[in-house]
Amino acid sequence: MKRFLLLLLVVLLGWGVYERENLWAFPDIISAYTAKEYCSCRYVTNNDAGYCRGYVKQWLPTSQFTDDSASKTITVSGMGRSNSAQWLSDRQGCRLIP
Amino acid sequence: MFKGLPLLLLLISLTVQAEPWPDEDWPVGPRITTVSDLETYAFPPRDDTTRHGIRTDALLIIRDGQIVYERYAGPTTEQTPHLTWSISKSLMATVLGVAYGEGLFKLDDPALKFYPALERHPAITLANLLNWASGLDWQEDYEYAPLKSSVVAMLYTRGHRDMAAFTAEHDRYAAPGQAFRYSSGDSNLLATALKTMVGPQRYFDYPWTALFEPLGIRHAVWETDGSGTFVASSYAYLTARDLARVGLLMARGGRWNDRQLLPKDWVAFSLKPFEAYKAHQDEAVPGGHWWLNRPAESAISPWPDAPPDTFAALGHWGQALYVIPSEKLVIVRYGDDRDGSYKHNELLKRVLQAVRP
Repeated sequence: MKRFLLLLLVVLLGWGVYERENLWAFPDIISAYTAKEYCSCRYVTNNDAGYCRGYVKQWLPTSQFTDDSASKTITVSGMGRSNSAQWLSDRQGCRLIP
Repeated sequence: MFKGLPLLLLLISLTVQAEPWPDEDWPVGPRITTVSDLETYAFPPRDDTTRHGIRTDALLIIRDGQIVYERYAGPTTEQTPHLTWSISKSLMATVLGVAYGEGLFKLDDPALKFYPALERHPAITLANLLNWASGLDWQEDYEYAPLKSSVVAMLYTRGHRDMAAFTAEHDRYAAPGQAFRYSSGDSNLLATALKTMVGPQRYFDYPWTALFEPLGIRHAVWETDGSGTFVASSYAYLTARDLARVGLLMARGGRWNDRQLLPKDWVAFSLKPFEAYKAHQDEAVPGGHWWLNRPAESAISPWPDAPPDTFAALGHWGQALYVIPSEKLVIVRYGDDRDGSYKHNELLKRVLQAVRP
């Protein structure tokens, strides 16, 4: 049993090293997705705020959400990471910053 | 000899008028009336809580250059520049067609010529990218494999600062041009190649000057990545009526009024099935960044109830631009489908029934 657990640990560690880039980036997905797609829903497609909150809802929760309508900047936190998206211009729409 | 000239001119002008084109607005033709089967399918009661089922945002049918049916739902109106998702890929191909007409590249040019970061992959040609056949080891899954998904990493995490560079870092799994694998990365390599083709000064406005303005499209949005490259894979926004203009351009062989905006051989390449595609690899047969309703190998056509010349630009969550030249039909369908219940064939079947009473 002990040997089995040790083997499992080694396999898991090996997988973690192999997938380290993907694993490290993974927690950013939910906040970056929510910030970017909300920004576009609200300021490119010009839908109302309530609709856009529903539109970006995913099965993973977000913890903080701010929409600074003066600078058209959205900041979202989730899974311990924070990401922002900003509206740039009529033609360019939104993108993640930095 | 000159006696006949005014008559000839009159005949020519009559012929021109007999082919309606959108000007500032679309001409409105006789509305189709037998729409109940179509609407039962496309516009069931909309469930915004569970988001289950078919959730059409817009359905616009153009026949012979005139609106014959138009309906919107949810928050979308005729003024809404709706997210097209991967329809953007076909739009980028259309923009590239104009650049091709300017003589800025050839289909068998290596992409490396226009994007030095592809030095590890010197054999990939622009045609390979247009066929989604770069041979790069790309994973396209969106929601079901988020850890391994190249496209999620490209749009939201490791790739969003420079999506083409992120794509070029992928290893190769097959020789270029030998195998089909749908890849948003291939589309963004095309977007960055365009930057070199037209030069950084023209690039910023190029989709507008090359395509949108000649077609009378006034409100297009095309988002860029952190390096200023158009996100050709995913982020163009157009109203349904404006997207239909691109459909009409393609339906009429790349011609807009009396101007051949896309060279005929470009349109032919766009609509030529990619020969290394294997049946059922994807929901339709890839051409040059367009989807074709052609039988592949011995399989039946992807959309058996639609004519074989049907082709489409398709995007995530149910976005579609269908073109059926033999029926003079252009159909835009925008949606917010969060499950797989919407079927292209079913919609096309019901549209065809409605327009052929």
